[in-house]
Formats: sequence, C-alpha cells, structure tokens
Amino acid sequence: MTGATSDNTLAAQFTASHGDGGGGGAPFLHAPEGARTIYLVTACAACGPLVAGTVLFGWRSLVVVVVTVLTAAAVERLYYRITRTPALFGRSHAYLTGLLLALTLPPFTPWYVAMVAAAFAIIVGKAIFGGVGHFLWQPALVGRLAVAVMFSSSLQPTSWPVLSQNRLLVGDIGRCRAVDDYRGWQGRLAPAGADGFVIARPETILAGLTADPPTFCALAYRPADSPSDKGPLLRGLPPINDLLLGTTPGGIGETCAVVIIAAGVYLIYRGYVKWQLPVFFVLAAWMTTAIAPIRLAGAGGASLTIWWPLTVEGLDVGVTYIHYQLLGSELLLAAFFLATEMTSRPVTTGGQALFGAGCGILAMLLKLYLAAPIPFYLAVLGMNTLTPLIDTVFTRRWRGRISLRTARTP
Amino acid sequence: MLFRRHGTFSGGIGLPDEKEGLVDGPILPAPRCPRLLVPLAPCGGVAARPLVSPGQRVYQGRKIAEAADGWGVDVFAPLSGVVKDIGIANLAGQEGFVSCPAIELEDLEAPQLPTVEMPLDFDWRSLEPAMMEERLAGGGLTTQRLPVLPLAAWLERARSCRCDTLIANVVEGQPYVTSDHRLLAESGKEVVEGLAIIGRAMGNPRMVLAVDERRTGHYRRVIGSAENHDVVCIAVSHKYPAGADIVLASLLTRRAAPQGGDTMDAGVAVVNAAVCHAVRQWAVCGQPPTHRVVTVAGDGISHPGNYWTPLGVSCAALAGAGDHLVHGGPMTGLRCVADAVVGPATDAVLRIESDVSTASSQCIRCGWCVDHCPVRLNVSALNDDFELGQVRHAARAGSMRCVECGVCGYVCPARLPLRHRVRQLKKALAVIGEETVMGSSP
Repeated sequence: MTGATSDNTLAAQFTASHGDGGGGGAPFLHAPEGARTIYLVTACAACGPLVAGTVLFGWRSLVVVVVTVLTAAAVERLYYRITRTPALFGRSHAYLTGLLLALTLPPFTPWYVAMVAAAFAIIVGKAIFGGVGHFLWQPALVGRLAVAVMFSSSLQPTSWPVLSQNRLLVGDIGRCRAVDDYRGWQGRLAPAGADGFVIARPETILAGLTADPPTFCALAYRPADSPSDKGPLLRGLPPINDLLLGTTPGGIGETCAVVIIAAGVYLIYRGYVKWQLPVFFVLAAWMTTAIAPIRLAGAGGASLTIWWPLTVEGLDVGVTYIHYQLLGSELLLAAFFLATEMTSRPVTTGGQALFGAGCGILAMLLKLYLAAPIPFYLAVLGMNTLTPLIDTVFTRRWRGRISLRTARTP
Repeated sequence: MLFRRHGTFSGGIGLPDEKEGLVDGPILPAPRCPRLLVPLAPCGGVAARPLVSPGQRVYQGRKIAEAADGWGVDVFAPLSGVVKDIGIANLAGQEGFVSCPAIELEDLEAPQLPTVEMPLDFDWRSLEPAMMEERLAGGGLTTQRLPVLPLAAWLERARSCRCDTLIANVVEGQPYVTSDHRLLAESGKEVVEGLAIIGRAMGNPRMVLAVDERRTGHYRRVIGSAENHDVVCIAVSHKYPAGADIVLASLLTRRAAPQGGDTMDAGVAVVNAAVCHAVRQWAVCGQPPTHRVVTVAGDGISHPGNYWTPLGVSCAALAGAGDHLVHGGPMTGLRCVADAVVGPATDAVLRIESDVSTASSQCIRCGWCVDHCPVRLNVSALNDDFELGQVRHAARAGSMRCVECGVCGYVCPARLPLRHRVRQLKKALAVIGEETVMGSSP
C-alpha cells in the first residue's frame, strides 16, 4: 500500500511540476481525424439505416428520430450547463447517441417515449459516468433498455405494422390493418383505407417453435410421428428477401440488412470499426444458433427436442432456419453500430474479437431460452459490463522484440 | 550492388511528407547574421575553458575554448569575428532547453578557407584504431544528435558494449526534415568515408548505411564508395518510426534493446550522416565541426531549404521568424524558447503553428495509439496509468520500452499528449527506482 501511495504522490508531483504538456509538446503535427470527426462520420453512416427506415416505415419514423436526436442534444446541453462541465467534442456524441437510440426504437413509438429514452441515454447512460470516454454501457442501449422496461406494452406489441409497397415514405405507420393470408411483402397492396398491414414479427413466429404449446411442429417438413397437427415453421415465415430488404416489422433502423452492412463496411473502411468485432459477433451468433438445441413442448406431455438444428432436417433447411433467426432480429445494427461504440468496447483487437463473440453467444442464448424482448441489445450491455475485465486480460503484451514482417522481394 | 530492400515492422504510420522542394534543393549557405553565440558546453556538463578574451579577434576554424574534462569538447570558431563577451545560450537537450555559457562573436566576416594543412601522404587507413581514436578526440567532435555526447566518449561506450554493428541512420521519416538526406545526396562519398573512419576507430564492425526506400534515387553515387569501404546499403520502409534507433536496429539486426536501454546495449551503434561527414572532414581535411546542415521549413517560412549553418546562430534569426518555432523534427522536437541557438544536434528549425487547442480532453478509447505503436505498447492503458499515477503498473506494462516516436500523439483523436505522458511515467519510474535503492540500503 505504501508503494502505491508513494507512486500516486510522485505522479502528482510530476504532473504538477512538469505540467501536462497541454498539447505544447511534440508531436506538433496531428492526424486530421479528431474525435468529433469520428462521431459525426459514424452518425453519417448511421443515416443509411435511417433513410432506409424512413422509406420503409414512413414519415412517422423520421419524427421519432428528430425528437430523439433533439432531446438528446438538449438534455446534454442542459446537463452540462447545470453541472458546469465543459462539453467535449461539441455535442457530436449526443447527436450520435440520439440517432443510434432512435434506430433501435419501433417506428410507432410515441413522442414522449422517445424523449424519455433520450433523456435516460444521456443522463444515466453517459453524463453521470463523466461523459464521453468514461461510460461503461453504450448510452443509446441504456435508454433503449429503460423504455423497454417502462413502456413494455406499447413497445412490444404482439403484431407490428409495416407499410405496403404503394405507400412507402408517405404512408402513416399508424394506419395499418391486420390481414389474413399474408404471404410476403412484394406484390401485396394495402387494404382499402389503410397504408399497410399489421403482421407478426419474424422473431415472434420463430418463438412459436419453442412456445408452450408450440405453434409449429418442425422446421420445414412434418415428421411422421408429429405430436400435433401443426405445420412446419419455415412455411409460416415471409420470404427471406423481405428480411434482407427490411420490408418486415422491426425497429426503424434494424430491418434493412443490406443498408446496415453497407454502412458498416464504410465504417470499417474508415478505420472506425475493426472488422473483427462485427464478424465475430455474427459468426458467434450463427454458430450458437446452429448448435443450440431447441425443445418443442407439445400438448399432452409429448415433446420433441431438436438437438442439432443445423442438420436435423438437412443442411439447407438448417441454414435457412439460422438465417431467419439472425436476420429477423436486431443483430446487424447491434454488431455494426452499437457494439462498436469506442468507449464501451475493449481496446485491443483480440479483446474486441472476444467481446464480439461473447455478444453473439449471449444474445442467442437470451433469445432462444429466455425469450428476452431485445436480446442483442441486452447482450451488448452485458458484455459492456465485462469490458474492463477483457481489457485487463487482453492488454497487449510486449513480445520481447519489435514484430517484424517478412522482407519483400525487390 | 544496389540498395537492398528490407522488411518492415508492425505498427507505425505513413506521415505526410511535406518535403517538396526540400528533397531536391541543394544545401545553401546560411543567411548572414550579425552575431553568434557559440555554446561552450554542447554536450552538457562542465563548460569548456575559453582561450580568448573579450575584444580579441578570432579566425574561422581556430580553437577558442578547450575541453574542461572528458565529457566536454574543444570549441572552434565557426566564423571569423571579434569576441564580445561570454554570454548565455539555450541549447536543446533531451529534456528541454538548457542554458550554457557561450562565446559571443560579433563583426562576423565572410567565411575563409580553412588553413589547417594535412601531410600529403596522410592516409587514415594506415592508422590503428587506437591512433584513430586519438586523432578523433582532438577535433571537438560530437555525436550531432540527441543525446549529444563527445565522440570520444561515445566510442569508448561502443567499445565497452562490444558493438559489432555500426549503422548510419539516414532514414529521416519526420515531415520536413531533410538535412541528413541532402548531406548524403551531395557529399555521399565523404559521409561513407566518415562512416568507415568511425568504424575503424570502433574496431572494424559490420557497417550498414540505412536509407529511406523512397530516396534511393538520390544516393546512386554513394554505392561505389560504399563498396570500397565494405558498407552495406539497405533501404528500409518509408513508414514513420523506421528511423527510430531501436526500431531500425531491430529491423536490421533482429536484436532488441533491453528495457530502458538503447541500441548500444544490444551491440549496435547508430550514427547519423552529419557526424560521419564531420568526422571525415576532421580526420582527412582537418576542418573542425563548426557548421552543420539545418532544415528550415514550415508554415509561413519564406525561404525553406537546407542551410549550411554555423553553430551558434540563433534559431529565430535562421528561420526569420520568432514565434511558433520548433527545434528538431515535428514528431520528436521541442518548442523553441527565446535565445535558442543552433547546436550540434539541431537537424531542423521549423515553424509550426499549433492548431491544437489546449482545452483538456479525455481518452475515448479508440485504440488507434495501440494499433500504431511500433513497439506494441498498450498506450491507452499507459494513459490510464498516468491519470491514476500508477507508475509501477505502467512499468510492468512496458513503459520503459517506449521509443518516444510520437506516433500515439499524432493519431490521437482526442489530442492527448500521449508521448509526453509516457515520458513522464518513465521519469517518475526513474525517481522511484532511485528512492527504492536508497531506501533499501541500511
């Protein structure tokens, strides 16, 4: 203890006597990209899913986004004004947090829910920890979790609306009507007097496999000794194209896989995201789904356990099942935008790979066995908690020599 | 034989070059200046004893001060002039500028040709290492880089460390700095001969001339004389800290310097082109090292270029501007104080207007410093250690390995002075180490 104390006093002496440099020491040149650039460019990349969400879910989702972003910025300004702390990097991080939070919210979120979420994100998620660089959990997800708990009934309805293809962008997500015999989004026009349909989310349909009693009897084929007369799972789902294009119910920025991946690749290209984190996230989720056994509880004590979902009914069926599980969730937004928040992820590359893998495994376990409402966000928050530990274990070790690369041929 | 290409290392960064016009421009004579402050203790330590008195007229190349002990060097007059007084000059050291006594020269005249004659049949190849060292000891030669040491002391250390490799480091990776590059491009033969002379004084080690792979086109004339003197020419990566001594020695010899030590502890001696040139001029022509090449460039400099500058010129006079001056390269240099003069280690005087606001910021844990560190340090964790004052923890994490290249501070998006902070950790550890030693003794 005395050693630690003397260390502390010495460091304090050194800091006091030599100053902190104050930016006055070498190097005198700096790379052009500052923290503000990072946050603003990430926000620009997040505008990709935002645009996709606005088109797919109509103008109401844009209202949700604007309310969330403005509330986040206003709350941050207010907080720093009251506590008289200097805001760092402008308010760029508040904008980014508000935008990411809005992307996770459903398009029909009431305005007050969006405001509460933004306030929670900024105050509880970020400001009380000391602002940018000090928070433990991704602030946007803290806000999302808060409203998921407080307003669970209005944010987690059993069936969700989606606009029809002739009412994109201009349609009102509040004027949707239930339809029967919904077989896919493409080619289906809205019923008269409405802008879209109200249908079950893919993850709700998938959860029907393991519900008690299950709604489905198998993945794709009805086995001969079926415990019930229910149909197979994959026939109850919309075509996979709907999930890739995002024309399926979900959060504003969660659904459009193509755009999220494109924006994520841009972030990787800019160097703001290391590819290891999202790739290990997705791979771990894929592997977990492939090997996690599912138990179908039938009425009357009959039960069927699918031990090996990847191959139980053939590889093609298994792969399709896994892709529905992954694309019908918030996986991609979490992997590319939320888990990669710089402050709450580990620093080293190895740590980030472990972090991503942990997120993927934890999320699929939460989803398959606990039927948690927002499993991927919960998993990211859970792994954020472990980030300091991962940082301690995965600190980069000096390997005794400068690591050399092989000589090039002339 | 051409320049052999060599592998690279992990980490590092490609810096903006900022060398247009400097790479190809010739070395120019320095602009006339009204007075010189010739430092008497260019290596620190005890100042040399002046041999002249105020009012006396001195001539270029004459000894004006005599070394007081083994850690000082003789001082020669860079230009002819009249001694005005013994003044104070600020010289750059490793930790910052230090004041030392200096002879103030006025009424400077146009340079004269050196008058020291060598016997016509003199050939340095005939000298034994010990005689060569004796010859070099008298010339007031220094290592001409930080830390500045008398060449004699440097040679003694090299011999006691049993250095078997001698590297001439002409890899100038920092933006703007081109003084060694121009010296090698224009006087390559002399530089290589000087390298061979230093090698002879060390006892015939392996000799390597390491240059930047992007500049090999300028050095074609060097190759022939390098072959004559058994010097291997190697072109290393353009990536920035390839020119840091420890990184370069590790690249070329695969030997790591011990923690907190330098390359000599690993048996590798590193010199630069300036000292090779000075050694050759002294050993063969008898010209003392009174000048050196200094790069003058930067924001708002009207006359960028490399200048053959007498030691003792004020940096402000050389740059033609008084503010925002940086002594040395932009990655590792020092902010100039007033009355800073050109010393033996001054390779550049730059004018860089600082764009960094001094508002305190905090780490956002982007990890870029970790990705770019050439010695694979977790700089982000070291920054945490600095903020928490955990000096010993930082030492266990390898803070003493830091080569102080400045890449971490360059890439930091929060603009934290990371290089400075790791230096503070190293200094604090040195203090703690001394205290521990003192406390343990009864």
